[in-house]
Amino acid sequence: MNLYHRRRLVNAIVNTLSIGATALGLGWLVLILGSLVYQGLSALSPAVFTEMTPPPGADGGLLNPIVGSLMLTFLAIAIGTPVGIMAGTYMAEYGKFAKLTVVVRFINDILLSAPSIVVGLFVYEIMVVPMGHFSGWGGAVALALIVIPVVVRTTEDMLALVPRELRESATALGLPLAYVIRHVSYRAARAGIITGVLLAVARISGETAPLLFTALNNQFFSTNLNGPIASLPVVIFQFALSPYANWQKLAWIGALIITFAVLALSITARALSASGKSS
Amino acid sequence: MSSIAGIGHGVQSPVPTTAKRSPDDVGKPAEKILLRNLNFYYGDNKALKSINVSLYDRRVTAFIGPSGCGKSTLLRILNRIYSLYPHQRAEGDVLLDGVNILDHGQDLNLLRARVGMVFQKPTPFPMSIYENIAFGVRLFEKLPRAAIDERVQSALQRAAIWDEVKDKLQANGLSLSGGQQQRLCIARTVALKPEVILLDEPCSALDPISTAKIEELIDELKDDYTIAIVTHNMQQAARVSDYTAFMYLGELVEFDTTSKMFTSPSDRRTQDYITGRFG
Repeated sequence: MNLYHRRRLVNAIVNTLSIGATALGLGWLVLILGSLVYQGLSALSPAVFTEMTPPPGADGGLLNPIVGSLMLTFLAIAIGTPVGIMAGTYMAEYGKFAKLTVVVRFINDILLSAPSIVVGLFVYEIMVVPMGHFSGWGGAVALALIVIPVVVRTTEDMLALVPRELRESATALGLPLAYVIRHVSYRAARAGIITGVLLAVARISGETAPLLFTALNNQFFSTNLNGPIASLPVVIFQFALSPYANWQKLAWIGALIITFAVLALSITARALSASGKSS
Repeated sequence: MSSIAGIGHGVQSPVPTTAKRSPDDVGKPAEKILLRNLNFYYGDNKALKSINVSLYDRRVTAFIGPSGCGKSTLLRILNRIYSLYPHQRAEGDVLLDGVNILDHGQDLNLLRARVGMVFQKPTPFPMSIYENIAFGVRLFEKLPRAAIDERVQSALQRAAIWDEVKDKLQANGLSLSGGQQQRLCIARTVALKPEVILLDEPCSALDPISTAKIEELIDELKDDYTIAIVTHNMQQAARVSDYTAFMYLGELVEFDTTSKMFTSPSDRRTQDYITGRFG
């Protein structure tokens, strides 16, 4: 066997292994999505979106956790996005050469990979314990703490991708740095930054651990952020582990709703970043 | 003799002629920028060594030399764009109308509005063709809408691109071809009515037709602006410039009128370079 045939053989083997690995990974994903759709879709009905979570054995829906999740997610993004974008802007623009940036980037990376249950415990200590009760605000803050590192990271990365020449030519027109950032860097990086925020939404919409210690759960409809508030992940957690068939069904539906919401967000993020590249 | 008429006219005009002229200099253009004993450092690396050269008012000065000889570095000092980066510093005098721009406390944004720069790579901002130009103008002058429209049009006409874009001013600047983008960048610079225009290899990314258009443009612009151009293309230097400076290894080897430089240079190295024997 000469060298050429040997290379062809090695290529064929590695190729087969790669395809096999891909098939294995995708296979599990298909199985997960398949069982989710099969179990969830069969029980999906309008009542899910109009009725409250029921007691065991009765009919009901997921209205209160859906509203709760929307509120918590919205608040967390509203708190986390400005902080994250401003920090990322500092790191990529004002403090590009500063030591502080290196430190912030290091800490941010730790925060990015910190177990979310730690975030939940932290907020429990600083908010829930002093307030004396679980609250939606605590949940929103815990989720915001997960949003911030994601947004910081994507903002810094996306601004770093803005060509140096673009920044220089804006500066060469006599534009102050704040103008360069607002009108040139942000514009050039807009699609990427928005994608980062959407990915942060996707990330927090399935988080359960930080909410268990903060927003807890509420079997009634509530929009009072000073008290416990229901959310989809916590309801799924509670219902899926219960022995009641109707609760388990609702857990499947909840999982289906979250999955499709995240899927829609990811597709939007993809489309945005693609359109950002072409324009 | 038109220059004498020009001087006579200048007495009545409110524009101050700051550069002092001795009677011998009549007929010779005034010095717009004077570099005296200029050294430049990238960190510990000395990139320019005791440069002395003048840029004459409303003349084109070309900087030629092999890659890495410091000609772009020199250009980047004249609008202090290097100040964006720490560890880059200049020592010596760079007098613009007699004022040292390297002094502390210089308003860099005003300086850059007076000394415009066009870069090697076309860098339209990610906004409409109209906005690419209007955006910088609005920062420096409060003008009514109609005046801005007019300024945009005259800048585009000045840059010889008006006919190609007049029907699509709202199209994205990035949708233009490379040569058009570069002329848009020149228009953007011209719109701010600078006194000096720095061109850093403006044609190196362009095809011959676009290059010819830009060279024609340079020829027209020199009626109103002092122009410095860095180029790798010696024919281009010979075609567009009035004065030529040859640089080698961070030193200014020779500086003279272009006709003298390309016919009977006094330095052996200049001779070798322009005849293609090295570099």
